[in-house]
Amino acid sequence: MTNAMKIPAQHAQTEDDNLSALFDGELDDPGARAILKDLSRDPERCRRLAEYALIGDSLRGLNRDAPHLTTRVMAALEQEPTVLAPMARPRDRRPALWLAAATVAAITWGLWSVSPRQDAPAAPMAAAPGQAGNVLPYLEAHQDFAQAVVAPSEMQFTRVNLAGVGQ
Amino acid sequence: MRAAWLLCLVALGARAGDPLPPAEAAVWLQRMADAARHVGYEGVFAFQHGDAPLQSLMVSNRPAPAGKDSRLLAMDGEQREVRCSQGISLSMQTAGGQVKVERRLNSRHFPDLLPANATPLANWYNVRLGEVGRVAGLDCRQVELTPRDAFRWGYVLCAEKETGLPLKAMMINDAGKPLMQYAFAEVKLGALPRNAPPPAQTASEAARPVAAGRVGVKSLPPGFTRITAVKRQLPNKPGEVEHWVFSDGLTHISLFLENAAQPVETLRGQSKLGMINMLTRQVGAMQATILGDAPWPAVEAIAMNLEARPGTVASGK
Repeated sequence: MTNAMKIPAQHAQTEDDNLSALFDGELDDPGARAILKDLSRDPERCRRLAEYALIGDSLRGLNRDAPHLTTRVMAALEQEPTVLAPMARPRDRRPALWLAAATVAAITWGLWSVSPRQDAPAAPMAAAPGQAGNVLPYLEAHQDFAQAVVAPSEMQFTRVNLAGVGQ
Repeated sequence: MRAAWLLCLVALGARAGDPLPPAEAAVWLQRMADAARHVGYEGVFAFQHGDAPLQSLMVSNRPAPAGKDSRLLAMDGEQREVRCSQGISLSMQTAGGQVKVERRLNSRHFPDLLPANATPLANWYNVRLGEVGRVAGLDCRQVELTPRDAFRWGYVLCAEKETGLPLKAMMINDAGKPLMQYAFAEVKLGALPRNAPPPAQTASEAARPVAAGRVGVKSLPPGFTRITAVKRQLPNKPGEVEHWVFSDGLTHISLFLENAAQPVETLRGQSKLGMINMLTRQVGAMQATILGDAPWPAVEAIAMNLEARPGTVASGK
């Protein structure tokens, strides 16, 4: 989701790349038209497009009802009438794509800007014995409100750096 | 071609089973919440956290003017019991012939998971009705609570057909994977169990309300409010800490505040299944530990919106 130059569809390496690029609004007009044309004839690719949408939803915490989505997409395609009218110019479509892309980018940025930045190396580490001992009282105290109590050994910890946040 | 694209978009935006209108959703939520308190019942339920071993508990409730009078008894492992009566919740654990009694700050337990006033939840969850199923020999209607944002987990409940009592409950993550499951194996509705009076004295010191704090919260995730702020002694930890709790009625996030004896290392913690998230950081002269069975964005939002109140001296890194 950047202002990167649009890539022709034929340069994309795989079909998945094409679908991903389409969803991100990164294809040029002929490329987008070609993918959309294929899409209406290829249920499998439409299913993958649905998955890309779900991934986007997941990133925004909106991922729901995944098992039914493909069915609905397929049903919608089956009911689609054959369109004989001339195609509208791609320019009519693309602003909507850019808008969607920009919205996702803004949400991603909004989350990223307040997220703790992980120091390098930032590989998760199991709770060290001392650390586990430090965490246990909090886990126990929270159990008055929690639905489950986990042992400190079930927790994984990562050092993070609160860059840009006043402490 | 364009039509195909639009059809795909429409389909992508659609959901299985339309959400109930807010007013109707609120009625269902409140019905389930009331049933858990005002219906007499006794039975045995099983619960499972992720792929952990199944555990079973006996539960009974007798409607009472001051709320509920419930008893929860662990049937596996150590002898544990929770008693909730007249707004007081006690935890009793027997080990080595000794009974350790502690006062709990909260009295919710399955099937009483929804807050007393459940209607505001309709603002934060889409509610959908599912199929009629059967749990513990009783017919129940599936009720799905889907969060409208990333700050809470989803729930799938099965409300008994006549009373609305949740016979089954499942907390799920955003991929629909179960994080916690409860289900009655057997239950008798309309029972009026006679629970023995709870112990008159508690072993633990009662928590004290917190006065003006040295830390403030600039903003909270939508729907969350501070429901508790006490000073208390934590198990196996010297000294007192401030324990705040933020909740939307279903999700609870604790904030523990204590003096930072030395610079606090900022640590993020997550349980294996991702259900519990926590962050420890320094805020002014205080160490803040934020912990909850809530998605990371909720814990993060609270952690990142803490600020030291004037008069405190920052010494952290």
